[in-house]
Amino acid sequence: MRTDARPVEQGGEGMRLTSANAAFLMLGPIAFFVLFFLAPFGLLVAESFMRPDGGVTLGNYVSVLSDGYYWNALINTLLISLWVTVVAFLLGYPLAYFIVFHVLRPWGRRLIYVLLMTPLFTSNIVRAFGWIVILGRRGIVNATLLAVGLIDRPLDILYGKLSIVIGLAYILLPIMVLSICSVLQTVDRSLIEAARDLGARPSRAFVAVTFPLSLPGVVAGSIIVFALSVSAYVIPSILSGGREMVTPILIFQQYAATFRPDIGATLSVVLLAVTLLLIGSYLILFERRLRAVG
Amino acid sequence: MLYLAFPLLVVIAISFTATEYLRFPPQGLTLRWYWQVLGDPTFIEAFIVSGELAAAATATALLLGVPAALVFARKRFALSRVLSALFLSPLVLPTIVLGVAILQYASALGFARSFWALFVGHVVLVTPYVIRTSLASLSGVEPAHEEAAQDLGATPLQTFFLITLPQIKAGVIAGALFAFINSWINVEVSIFNSTAQLVTIPVKLFNYIQFNIDPTLAAVSAATIYIAILVVVAIDLAVGIERAAVTSPETRR
Repeated sequence: MRTDARPVEQGGEGMRLTSANAAFLMLGPIAFFVLFFLAPFGLLVAESFMRPDGGVTLGNYVSVLSDGYYWNALINTLLISLWVTVVAFLLGYPLAYFIVFHVLRPWGRRLIYVLLMTPLFTSNIVRAFGWIVILGRRGIVNATLLAVGLIDRPLDILYGKLSIVIGLAYILLPIMVLSICSVLQTVDRSLIEAARDLGARPSRAFVAVTFPLSLPGVVAGSIIVFALSVSAYVIPSILSGGREMVTPILIFQQYAATFRPDIGATLSVVLLAVTLLLIGSYLILFERRLRAVG
Repeated sequence: MLYLAFPLLVVIAISFTATEYLRFPPQGLTLRWYWQVLGDPTFIEAFIVSGELAAAATATALLLGVPAALVFARKRFALSRVLSALFLSPLVLPTIVLGVAILQYASALGFARSFWALFVGHVVLVTPYVIRTSLASLSGVEPAHEEAAQDLGATPLQTFFLITLPQIKAGVIAGALFAFINSWINVEVSIFNSTAQLVTIPVKLFNYIQFNIDPTLAAVSAATIYIAILVVVAIDLAVGIERAAVTSPETRR
């Protein structure tokens, strides 16, 4: 092992750890994660291939993936998540842009970050509850619309796809905003200035310079928001009143109502596979971008 | 922007209503719902369970996460990327699947629906937060200080405790706060190993909200919002909220 001239990234500079040191330090974390993360997941995957009476089978996957009910739930989950991602992007990008380019005073940014992060530290249920109060039949939205006279019967906003999209987009918005913020901050302002100097209007400078440079953050944020949205259980469960079926709710039912752990395991693996696919594609995209840059 | 604060403000507002049902804007102001919650022994029990769980999970996450982050930051080895992806993956994988997996696993091993089943799930859930903030902090340490210490004869252990740890203290504290609060508010992992006696506050709320939408619910929810504000302020004081939010390795990617 060379002991001089170490590269800067990913370890190398700073404290020198022997392999023995590193192994010792990693022992605890690795053991814990193998025992209580990999093993349980492995068990779940194994279970998805088993019949209730023992014996290996692909039957669970066949029945789950060919059953219209489960399939529809999966499509529903993906569609809702797509909407959530789009809404989170449409709301989040302007907000991120505003924070990075237009909030100049430090205390302003602090306040905004506090506002952004506080919801992240409240439980999903609390945030869902807030939306129930706002969107319910006797809620704020309906009360206002009725008072103004725009409608004469309360709307059923709650208990449908719309309320789920609103609720999930709300919960995941901070993640999108933070992701875009972190990349917008690194945009080289001189490039924007150069565009303006060359005669571009602000909107053109944005479209041609700023936005393309911010795409990595947009993509990263979108993939994470989509993945978390596909996995969401609490919000769809509470805000749809049982009328919308998404895969996480189905999974929960297998353990709470229908007592089919084999189906539950299969559905879980399907959900896991979808999520891993998303995260994997993000990592691959990101690696390519890294290689392109440096 | 208001969109972000609105639902939370609404919850806080209605928790004060004097009426028996939910009204917004609240009619009359009263603290009686808060008193009612405080007087309910099952809520107190759930509070204690949530607290013990979060504390235990956070402590363990620190013991596991900080050493792991140190190795990732200071040692190059072949599986580094894979391992760090593994440790950070609970942040983006479906937590409901984690809950299910732990339930099955614990059932097979005989400790399902116990505090320990909840515990191991929560540790896996929150360790990534500790690793994330610790990694960010470690990259800000002046490497020459550590090298100098070792050149002068300090062991890695001494170097870590005398040089590194003081410099990363803020990040570790922020990580601990992230870990604690995320354990506290979690539903999807807790719900599978809870029982009628062993229940956390979020699970209790979740069960409650299926049947009653009333001001008591608002009071408990409002209380959690106050706690959230406190935690965010604490993180801001420790590390600076902007740094914690935007410059962590995950969002930096």
